Amino acid sequence: MAQILVVDDSSTVRNEVGDFLKSNGLEVAFAIDGRDGLSKLKADPTLKLVICDVNMPNMDGLTMAEKVRSELKNSSVNIIMLTTENSPAMKERGKAAGIKGWIVKPFNGPAVIASLKKMVA
Amino acid sequence: MTEAATVISKVLVLDSDPDCQHALKDFCASHSLSPLRVNRGNLLAVLRSNVDLGAILIAERIGDDAQAGIELGRQVHQLRPELPIFLRREQLDGLDDLALADRSAFMAGYTLGHIARLESVIQDSIFCQYYPNALVRGITEITQTALRSQFQGLDLHIDTPYIVRDRLLYGEIFTLIPIESPWCRGYMSLQAIEANLQQLVKAEHTHISADDGDDFRNLNGLLGEITNLIWGAFKNRYGRLESSGPLLAQVPIIINHLHRYISFGSTDPQLCFRCTLTNPANPDMTPIVIYQRFIFNLSWRPEDFMENQASVENLVSTGELELF
Repeated sequence: MAQILVVDDSSTVRNEVGDFLKSNGLEVAFAIDGRDGLSKLKADPTLKLVICDVNMPNMDGLTMAEKVRSELKNSSVNIIMLTTENSPAMKERGKAAGIKGWIVKPFNGPAVIASLKKMVA
Repeated sequence: MTEAATVISKVLVLDSDPDCQHALKDFCASHSLSPLRVNRGNLLAVLRSNVDLGAILIAERIGDDAQAGIELGRQVHQLRPELPIFLRREQLDGLDDLALADRSAFMAGYTLGHIARLESVIQDSIFCQYYPNALVRGITEITQTALRSQFQGLDLHIDTPYIVRDRLLYGEIFTLIPIESPWCRGYMSLQAIEANLQQLVKAEHTHISADDGDDFRNLNGLLGEITNLIWGAFKNRYGRLESSGPLLAQVPIIINHLHRYISFGSTDPQLCFRCTLTNPANPDMTPIVIYQRFIFNLSWRPEDFMENQASVENLVSTGELELF
């Protein structure tokens, strides 16, 4: 069963992040946008961590995070944003939605993996 | 105001007079122009294939034909009306003696004795946009970071940026994304050849599985992600700190597939970067070129150029997890 859900509309990023996590022994599932991510989280409430882009079609990542808390009532899953966005206002909105961390793209796997392992342990 | 960046522009030169060729070469060297010699037989073919031109210099007399340059100018103007054409004349400076229809095809006429007069008209028509050096340097850094994050095991070289006036699309894959800051509004595009990207995927230089290289959607996605990375970094470094105003102008973008032509509704020259990827472990690999263009057609106020210092400092931690 997957431990981590990677939500990104870019197949390149899904491949990059997914391959890296799998090579570090983590089980990974994928969603192609916020709406798909919300659906996957609803179907599998045991997911421990979500790595999510902000700018996506259909539903952006911050809206998805807000809905995870408000609609799914899931307060246990850790959500980390992986995005090109770096504005303080967006980070504040993320914090208000209960997001646990923020990574500015491009993804630097080795620098992130230790923190992720602690989160999903 | 910050120092202006050094940018060049490629110009086609059709002039069979050896003395003039030398003079034009010297003129180009001292005015940031990169001359590309063509002849009467290949001019139109070169024009159809070349995507990064700033202007064309044509001699009125070509061989024994005293007015061949005027006829060629008409044809060039019809084919590529966005390119300024400068006519070198034998006797008279200017274009006043030409028929009105011919005059409209040329930006200016000059004689070799007064070639210095070309300087101001070149400045007005090609180098009329001022590009701060810090912006050009910043774009180069941002682009390098984005490309290096998506291509492994390759060397990357970004040429001196250049100015183009043409509107032709290069390659087969083309991305376009709005670019906005308090001092600029417009678009950035990346252009590449699909087979070249596919070659890199199959050789495992990207994050895409080699087996997925046959699906063009994955190649689209690769160029799209590079575009996204550059857009995000540009926004973080130069973007608005406060929300934007209530009404921002837009103009239609026109794409003509038949002529591989795109118009942003502005005649302003575009700032271009040519990024070349090579494989140090395989010198026989054809260099892969990605063209990057910035078109500041909606707003351009370089006098207000500034970087977000906090964002520049934050770039140091790009890719790492910031825990809340």
